[in-house]
Amino acid sequence: MDNHVELDNVSKFYDAGRRLHALHQVSFGVEEGEFVSIVGPSGCGKSTLLKIIAGLDKPTSGQVRFRGGAICGPHSKISLVFQAFGLFPWRTVLENVEYGLEMQKMSKEERRQLAEDYLGMVGLAGYEHMYPKQLSGGMRQRVGIARALAVEPEVILMDEAFSAIDEVTAEVLRDEVAEIHRKTGKTFVLVTHNLSEAIELADKVVVLSSRPAKVKKIMPISLDRPRDRTHTMFVHMHRDILHLLKEELENTFIRHRLKGISELQSIHDMEKGDNRDNQSAEKNQQRKNAVITT
Amino acid sequence: MSVEKEKALTLSLTGGFLTGDRFSSYLWIFPLLVGFSIWEAVTRSGLVPSSRLPTFSSVLVVFFMSIQSESFLLRIGHSFLNLACGLFLAFSLALPLAFVAGSRNRFDLTLTPIVMLFGALPDLSFLPLLVLWFGAGNLAAIIMASLAGFFPIYFTVRQGTKNIPRELFDVTAIFKSDRLSTFTKMVLPAISPHLFSGLRLAYDFAWEIIIAIEIATRVAGIGNFIDGNVASGSLQNGFAAIFAIAIVAIIVDRAFFGTLEAWTRKWA
Repeated sequence: MDNHVELDNVSKFYDAGRRLHALHQVSFGVEEGEFVSIVGPSGCGKSTLLKIIAGLDKPTSGQVRFRGGAICGPHSKISLVFQAFGLFPWRTVLENVEYGLEMQKMSKEERRQLAEDYLGMVGLAGYEHMYPKQLSGGMRQRVGIARALAVEPEVILMDEAFSAIDEVTAEVLRDEVAEIHRKTGKTFVLVTHNLSEAIELADKVVVLSSRPAKVKKIMPISLDRPRDRTHTMFVHMHRDILHLLKEELENTFIRHRLKGISELQSIHDMEKGDNRDNQSAEKNQQRKNAVITT
Repeated sequence: MSVEKEKALTLSLTGGFLTGDRFSSYLWIFPLLVGFSIWEAVTRSGLVPSSRLPTFSSVLVVFFMSIQSESFLLRIGHSFLNLACGLFLAFSLALPLAFVAGSRNRFDLTLTPIVMLFGALPDLSFLPLLVLWFGAGNLAAIIMASLAGFFPIYFTVRQGTKNIPRELFDVTAIFKSDRLSTFTKMVLPAISPHLFSGLRLAYDFAWEIIIAIEIATRVAGIGNFIDGNVASGSLQNGFAAIFAIAIVAIIVDRAFFGTLEAWTRKWA
């Protein structure tokens, strides 16, 4: 089966000077209607990856394909749910949901109707004329989801969409997203640091390594839905992924320690060679301190 | 400047007209009445000679006569027009520059230090040069007013632009907004609370500059009118003009800035 979204050796470097390596040849496919979760150690570049899929950022090499065509900017069939909701505070709930449709130059009546339909779908009928500041975090994210759905995309990307919401509300919202996924059959890609959330929602979990992020493992999840977090298989999956991520964190920690030690050694050698120059000795001392504190 | 500080500043500038319930929003009338009564008393009792301070009641009489005189109203209109032109100029220059400075770091580092340098100079120090170049007329007054209005608008809008969450730019990109609608439908409303504070400050600064220029260079206008009347001993006319300026300032403040700020208070 052809992949709906396909990542082909996506690499990303930041800042030409320091060459911060964020992503290293990331490749995986997402089938149509599939729910994929991406997890990885914090700061590994998960969100960067999602931004590249969304067309908000460009890969340094490699490409992302949507229905076989390379993505080189935001695509009208790919929508995004934001971590901090991304709502416009000066627009009412209804106007926020209408925003994407307004940009598509849809007529006022049409977009109002569509926006109301999707607000109903996320359970916000009756809140149309409120401003975001009057809503709770969970309700704001519902607006964000309705706005993403309203443009009728084929792929919905979610960037830590549940992490700025309190746990109980997030739990309810996750169930509803699972329900929307089941009913609409749209493709979902979720970036998260919450492993239970990743397993609960996904057909497969992509585990990334620490920076530069590579695909460490792809784990298919074939548990029946709705999923029970206390199910033995669920618990095992959770443990396995946790193990993979811990391994990654330990690797990075050791790597940094070693790098620090070798740097100290080189500074020490330099000092030996030239300790009459006070200024450079002072500079070296500063560098040494910097290495130790990091 | 943080938004809270700006809000506090705006509040202090408006004397808190815009807050509180129906009764407490008119509390400011009482100190004003007390002040006017003391004024009336000190002149009537002979404590202050009326050649230095006319009685409040006589000023009031002259004021009501003046506002029925066409030439008096034209003088106020003249000053106000210079002020409005200056502010419009300041707004159209400062808004785009400040927006680019707020969103492009390199441009900010190139331009803002220079703007700060000019901002630190007292605006009026340029006046003799402007008069030399453009003559002692409306043009010099408009340029001075725009100079005075430029800095508050520039700095508030620049800060407002810097404060726009990155995520909102991503939202406009995801929904494929073009440049123009990104600016009109996202950036402008996002910076509007800052922009309104900047405009209000610019308006206050520009009034001071306009009056100062009219006094210094004899540009026809209400400032020049005050100067002439005070010099020739008709203090009532001078005070009447000051009252008129205050009333224009309050009307603009409430009708224009009040409406704008009422809109931002709904959602911010």
